[in-house]
Amino acid sequence: MQVIQLRGALRMGPAVDSFRQTLEEALNSGDTRIVVNLSEVPMVDSSGIGLLVRFLALIKQQGGNIKLAQPSKFAVQTLRLVGVLKLFEIFENDDAAVESFA
Amino acid sequence: MPAEFSGDTETGALSELLDVNLPADAEAIATAVDTISETLMRLEVPEQKRFEVALAVQEALANAVVHGCGNDPSKQVRCRLQSDAQGRIVIIVTDPGPGFRPEVLSDATRGKKLYADHGRGVYLIRQLMDEVHFQDRGNEIRMWKY
Repeated sequence: MQVIQLRGALRMGPAVDSFRQTLEEALNSGDTRIVVNLSEVPMVDSSGIGLLVRFLALIKQQGGNIKLAQPSKFAVQTLRLVGVLKLFEIFENDDAAVESFA
Repeated sequence: MPAEFSGDTETGALSELLDVNLPADAEAIATAVDTISETLMRLEVPEQKRFEVALAVQEALANAVVHGCGNDPSKQVRCRLQSDAQGRIVIIVTDPGPGFRPEVLSDATRGKKLYADHGRGVYLIRQLMDEVHFQDRGNEIRMWKY
């Protein structure tokens, strides 16, 4: 189980590159139960969305899941705008998301 | 209304708030987007509108850098922020690339596209802004927020 706390805009460049590396490492180590806390992410751009949904598909193929905790208002709006909010389970905090994997 | 919104209502003239040329790389995009957000905050533009404009600019600049400049930081993207007397905001992003035909873009929100890792940028811009026009050969986007 991994809880990933992101801080700052999740957008093209170092933020998305670093998050991709974290997800790849988790996937390669067989850790497919992932909680991503988006409470301190004021912006998610299309590259951040693409990364989230691509890894959601990969991880689900391995029987795991990526669950979102405390997404900011604007993160929720953006995911909804492009129709992918419904793909994710959303929790009000990390603990609830972690417990949901039990 | 803040003094900076001082366009001419008779002619619909636009006031230039920012005009920047930036290298085609991701960090320059982030700086430009943050500068625009700060400018809009100083103009007392509401948070929701600031967010929508900032994300649209992020997407337009990302498209310009990736597709218009091929991620070549020696190339430059021009970004202009203007407003009119009614407080309407227009953003113009121009790149040196060959352009594209926006009408050929498919719907990024349906079927297998939902899990695609790309192809949402222009769709997002159209959702976030009130008017979107591609000029010339498709290498310039002009986006309005009312």
